[in-house]
Amino acid sequence: MSGNYLARKLPKYGLAADLGLRNRLAYRGNFVGSLVTYGLFIFVFSRIWAAAYAGKSSIAGYDYAMSVWYFIVAEVSAFGFGHFYSSLSDDMKSGQVAYLLTRPYSFVGYHWAQAMGQGLLDAAVLLAGGILAGFLVAGAPPEPSVWRWGLVVLSLVIAGSLQFFIQMAIAMTAFWVEENTAFFWIYQKLCLIIGTFLPLEFLPETARQIALWTPLPSVTYAPARIAVAATAPEALGLVGAQLGWLAFSALACALVFRAGRSKITIQGG
Amino acid sequence: MTIIEAESLTKTFRTRIKPEGLRAGLRSVVRPQYRDVEAVKRVSFSVEEGEVLAFLGPNGAGKSTTIKMLTGILTPSGGSSRVLGLDPCRDRTRLARSIGAVFGQKSQLWFHLPPADSFRLLGAIYEIEPALLARRRAELVERFGIGPYMDVPVRKLSLGERIRCEIAASLLHAPSVLFLDEPTIGLDVVAKREIRVLLSEIAQRDKATIFLTSHDVGDIEKVCKRAIIIHHGEVVVDESMKELKHRALAKKFIGVKYAEPVRFELPGLKPVKVKLAASDTVAIAGADGDCAASGTEGSARDGAWSAASFEVDTRRHRLPEVIRALVEKGEVLDLTVEDEPLENIIASVYEARSGEDASRAARPGAASAADEAATGAARPGESAKEGT
Repeated sequence: MSGNYLARKLPKYGLAADLGLRNRLAYRGNFVGSLVTYGLFIFVFSRIWAAAYAGKSSIAGYDYAMSVWYFIVAEVSAFGFGHFYSSLSDDMKSGQVAYLLTRPYSFVGYHWAQAMGQGLLDAAVLLAGGILAGFLVAGAPPEPSVWRWGLVVLSLVIAGSLQFFIQMAIAMTAFWVEENTAFFWIYQKLCLIIGTFLPLEFLPETARQIALWTPLPSVTYAPARIAVAATAPEALGLVGAQLGWLAFSALACALVFRAGRSKITIQGG
Repeated sequence: MTIIEAESLTKTFRTRIKPEGLRAGLRSVVRPQYRDVEAVKRVSFSVEEGEVLAFLGPNGAGKSTTIKMLTGILTPSGGSSRVLGLDPCRDRTRLARSIGAVFGQKSQLWFHLPPADSFRLLGAIYEIEPALLARRRAELVERFGIGPYMDVPVRKLSLGERIRCEIAASLLHAPSVLFLDEPTIGLDVVAKREIRVLLSEIAQRDKATIFLTSHDVGDIEKVCKRAIIIHHGEVVVDESMKELKHRALAKKFIGVKYAEPVRFELPGLKPVKVKLAASDTVAIAGADGDCAASGTEGSARDGAWSAASFEVDTRRHRLPEVIRALVEKGEVLDLTVEDEPLENIIASVYEARSGEDASRAARPGAASAADEAATGAARPGESAKEGT
């Protein structure tokens, strides 16, 4: 792949991300709403953890501050990148998405760029608000360091893309089934239970072992675990697993698109 | 050179039947039933380079489905198509570089951002060199008069302004073929006129092949040179606009105004509007076919009239003889002969129940022969006879 080729192909995805981001900025009220909800979640969970930790210094290797900071980072992925499905699914079902097929680009790639422009902005705003809230309710994060938080950001970016590809694949099931919201609902709830509300270490051993064979830990657990507890080798291992799942989900998404493209049905107008 | 070729193009949609009632509804969950809807049935046609084609049909005729198959959005269930020598479905991305598409009901511009941003993105998507992009953009902005809207968020533009931006955006990469699906839908008369002028200009200046679907006869008359009418998924008419008008123009409308009130009937000739002499009343005639003030009861039938408009079926009455008969009735102040509005012709095709009926409706010669065989009533060429 020559540099020239990339120089010609990449700007379209860069601009799609740029426009996705700027489109998100059109209504600044969006951020206020999600920040307030996120702040409320952090407050409620900090109270729940405070009650759970009454008289205990550690649960499954996590102390109170670790649990609160874990939740703060995990929610950045769950909340910041958790809403791609609804707009993608609406576009699939209404047929709007079909009109984007008359363009010379990778259909999945274009949507990914656009979603990431918007999602990374959401996540950045949430992370900034979350860090502030974390200091207020739980003090400084455990063992902060540049490499740790650098890896947290990298892990969040990968988690965002992973979330996109999984949600896009679920949204594209609309090519075959009339109503696919249930699939997303199941995915969303599993994400919350496995790795968002509770770190994997809190789960029963069998459930944890099963979860490790799914992409779910890479969605929320990986960045949150890196933020509060992971050693450097463990953190790199988690990022590596994320990259593996990212490649797998991107490929799966492309295959679902290829198989489903001929199923697009938009009748009339 | 043939630019668009469709050969027995077919599209069947499978629709799930939703039965009425709770029991039937529950049964359909376990055992869903489907119905196949043939939206496009073995449609064949070709479009030559530089042609401006109107692709017409009533709602649900299959015209949008056809356009979507030709642009690679939908996969045909049968038959084949080639646009610029490429299979739209298999070579979708390659074809996308050479075609432009405007769907009046869907926007390609980012809703919350100004058109300038969408233009920039489209320039990148079509991989247009920055210098060329700047030149194309400046040219289109000037031609379409969209300079003042380029930095206004699309959501704040009027529909007419938005459509102008949409069409300009679709021309940014200088496509050889432009597909327009109801581009003037919802526009007011002024905006429609502006869009038509622009489309005619694109056809003449850019030598682009234009494939236009529209419900608006004005679009078709002003912009297109050839028309294909599709009905119930089948092609029922495929001819030049000139031929369509000429062949289907079996009807003429003659308007006559007399200096003094007159009182006569021309048997078999149908008045569509009569101005009674006694009052300024304008009566719209019934369909009984007899002349004079037959549109209103009593007074109209007895009264004299000063002006009327007649619908003349030229298959039954020779036009010069009808005119001569009218002129002989009194001192004529004004006499006009008009073609049947194209809208009526298309409506008669649309109203036909099946594709076969629609074909007949579009070909009056065939229809007349069939009618004659069936009823023995029609005698083409029979002259108008003077009544009392």
